[in-house]
Amino acid sequence: MAPPIYSALIISLGLGTTMTFASTHWYLAWMGIEINTLAIIPLMSQNHTPRATEATTKYFFAQATASATLLFASISNAFLTGEWDILQTPNTLTSSLITLALAMKIGLAPLHSWMPEVMQGLSLLNGLILSTWQKLAPLYLIYQIQPTNSNIFITLGLLSIIVGGWGGFNQVQLRKILAYSSIAHLGWMILILSFSPPLALLTILIYLLMTFSLFSSFMLTRTTHINSLATTWAKIPILTISTPLVLLSLGGLPPLTGFMPKWLILQELTKQDLAPIAALAALSSLFSLYFYLRLSYAMTLTMPPNNPAGTLPWRLNTRHNTTMMSLTTTSTICLLPVTPAIMALLPF
Amino acid sequence: MTPAHFAFSSAFMLGLAGLAFHRTHFISALLCLEGLMLSLFIALSLWTELFNLTHNSASMPMILLAFSACEAGTGLALLVATTRTHSTNRLKNLNLLQC
Repeated sequence: MAPPIYSALIISLGLGTTMTFASTHWYLAWMGIEINTLAIIPLMSQNHTPRATEATTKYFFAQATASATLLFASISNAFLTGEWDILQTPNTLTSSLITLALAMKIGLAPLHSWMPEVMQGLSLLNGLILSTWQKLAPLYLIYQIQPTNSNIFITLGLLSIIVGGWGGFNQVQLRKILAYSSIAHLGWMILILSFSPPLALLTILIYLLMTFSLFSSFMLTRTTHINSLATTWAKIPILTISTPLVLLSLGGLPPLTGFMPKWLILQELTKQDLAPIAALAALSSLFSLYFYLRLSYAMTLTMPPNNPAGTLPWRLNTRHNTTMMSLTTTSTICLLPVTPAIMALLPF
Repeated sequence: MTPAHFAFSSAFMLGLAGLAFHRTHFISALLCLEGLMLSLFIALSLWTELFNLTHNSASMPMILLAFSACEAGTGLALLVATTRTHSTNRLKNLNLLQC
């Protein structure tokens, strides 16, 4: 793509999220989300392959519908209460409709059907932008609603954790697995949102770190299938150590960082007398752990009897820029001991 | 719920149902999307007329129109791209990404 157009699109992507972050009026927040959607569509379809075009089309429909519903709910709120202020959205029907529209934007169950197929059709870099940057603006708006009625959030959260785990069971394509992992993690986040919004913020930050690290590892070897993961040992052996640890961190195993949000969420839910919901969430995240373990198994714990994968590639000196990947991978593996410091930084 | 609110709400719900249940053609989905935006345009104009009597945010419907036009243009560009790659605008043909 021509550099002026590419830079205009990247700047628009930043502008959209910044507008939503800076707004207190629902209309301006909606405009920021629309700018984000419009800016990423050319980036997603720049390949002009059938898969990329199809993924872009499905993404466009899902996001346009959700944006229109968001604006409809805001206008209904203005008709009913006269308020356009985001922090003043009282808990009526319109607040639930806004939550559902934003849930469709980020791909929570039961509004998640577009997510795996869209992620499958994109390149790994576009998939990374889709899972990390595009989630920021709607999540900020959900965070600001400050709900007191928790039913819809618990429903969305539990459904997303179950669907995110169960849906990824049969997948061998890495991008679909990443889509289902995104659904599950955002389910954990929205489960705790009505009880402790700072914990939801912690969950989303840790999720962004872990997803960035995993996408960077896959971009380094350009793998999109479990089969090509299995030959990573011959190309970049260090990845067979770091990527399984990142995957287990995504699964939420101590002593890795991914355990931190799950632990704190289960503790908070128990304090709110919702121990059965906490148990259901913890048991449902075992599904996700299964397919993360399967990826780790394929990558590290299998070795072919002969060495065809190791004989062919040339060992050339390549210049990969691994700064962000090393930072995020280190954070994904080593941040659990500093949990008290992180908790002190958030406004608990 | 005032009659104006009911009017644009039902228009929006009909458009949303059309968008959710479209079965054959891509372009019918785009038309329903435009219908959604039109109902929202009418809603914003009605809000300005009925409730915001100082008219200090009377530019809201026009900005909505600008964004809706951009979105319609994007939708049509995607329609053209889909027709180029999948050779048809039938939605049943968008089945490459299932496996």
